[in-house]
Amino acid sequence: MENPILVDKKFQKELNAGIAALVLLYILSTAEKAMYGYQIASMVAEDRQSEPLIKQGTLYPVLHSLEDNGLLISEVEPSITGPPRRYYTITGAGHEALARWTATWQRTRNFVDSMLAGAKNDNRS
Amino acid sequence: MITGVEDYLAQLRKELAGCDSATIRDAEADAEEHLRNALEKVRQTQPAVSEAEALQDIIQKYGLPEEVAAAYRDFETGAPRKYAPVKQEKSKKLPARFFGVAADPRAWGALFYMFLSLGTGIAYFTWTVTGISLTFGLLILIIGVPLGVLFVMSVRGLAILEGRMVEALLGVRMPRRPPFQEKKKGLWAKLKALVADRYTWFSMLYMIVQLGLGIAYFTVFTVLITTSLALIAQPIVVYVFHYSAFGDINGVPVLLNGWLMALGVIAGIFLFFGTMHLARWTGKLHGAWAKLMLVRL
Repeated sequence: MENPILVDKKFQKELNAGIAALVLLYILSTAEKAMYGYQIASMVAEDRQSEPLIKQGTLYPVLHSLEDNGLLISEVEPSITGPPRRYYTITGAGHEALARWTATWQRTRNFVDSMLAGAKNDNRS
Repeated sequence: MITGVEDYLAQLRKELAGCDSATIRDAEADAEEHLRNALEKVRQTQPAVSEAEALQDIIQKYGLPEEVAAAYRDFETGAPRKYAPVKQEKSKKLPARFFGVAADPRAWGALFYMFLSLGTGIAYFTWTVTGISLTFGLLILIIGVPLGVLFVMSVRGLAILEGRMVEALLGVRMPRRPPFQEKKKGLWAKLKALVADRYTWFSMLYMIVQLGLGIAYFTVFTVLITTSLALIAQPIVVYVFHYSAFGDINGVPVLLNGWLMALGVIAGIFLFFGTMHLARWTGKLHGAWAKLMLVRL
């Protein structure tokens, strides 16, 4: 067997591919005004002790991808403290996609939960 | 061990070697924006923490250069873009491929770019030549220096604008933001950094060459499109409006008669679609040229 840490990492990466897009859309749908990458990433950040589930650096290409698909729009504004910041806003198509993806996510979660619960019951009997 | 933001960016660049230059530029800009913002935040909230220490913590959350590079590579190969619109299957049949160009938005975009490039070419050329001569002329007086900085900044702005147009009309990925300049520098230091930057000169060269290219594009495509349309419209112009499509020579109308006219219509149709192909191909070539000149690595 391969190194279990690497196998786990690969599994996590594959899971994250769609989840990151859903989470980012949700965060931007609740935002009152346009947010820049670091703000968004900070909201995704979890407790600092454990290894984070989604690395913040991997969120940015997802943001670009969502923008390329017309679900987000962005604008660059200069900042006083550092490099210019890219501000993201969700579009109408983004809101629609979020609604569809949330439904897909519920279905996926129910499906996985029921499969895992079923497996447990099978083991018991 | 990564000691600073510059160090991180250098490693990220190394990890992304071989990727599309615009992807590298985006990845760098994202990382730089994130790391500097995060550092600033630590500086405000925990001033006691050293920069190197803070950076370790930030990178732990942001991801090591190889992890981040892997995410951009996936993005480039299209792995996470499952929601991208499905591309139409390419038809293998030659007639379908030849006439199908009319349905390709890229060909129309390229054609539009070719017409537009006359105007933008004149504007870029005028601006650049005026800027260069004013800057060098006034360098003898002190106002040449701030003027030079302003002018170079404006060229960079124009380069980004041109990049956006190239991406929108020619479909070549270009950077989305200007290369970052370190703040807190004097005017003179800023000018020196700008002058030392290859990107500045390449952008200016692009602006100057764009005049020639713009004239050539405009002339060639105007001639080709009008000729093809004139050939196609000839029967209508002649039989409905009783007028020569090609004007007249010494009062004698230039006409193509009978089967020659039919042949002309067919030739016009082929010429039109051929021009669309030529526009798409030229657009691809120009996109590569723009990328070479306007993207800094």
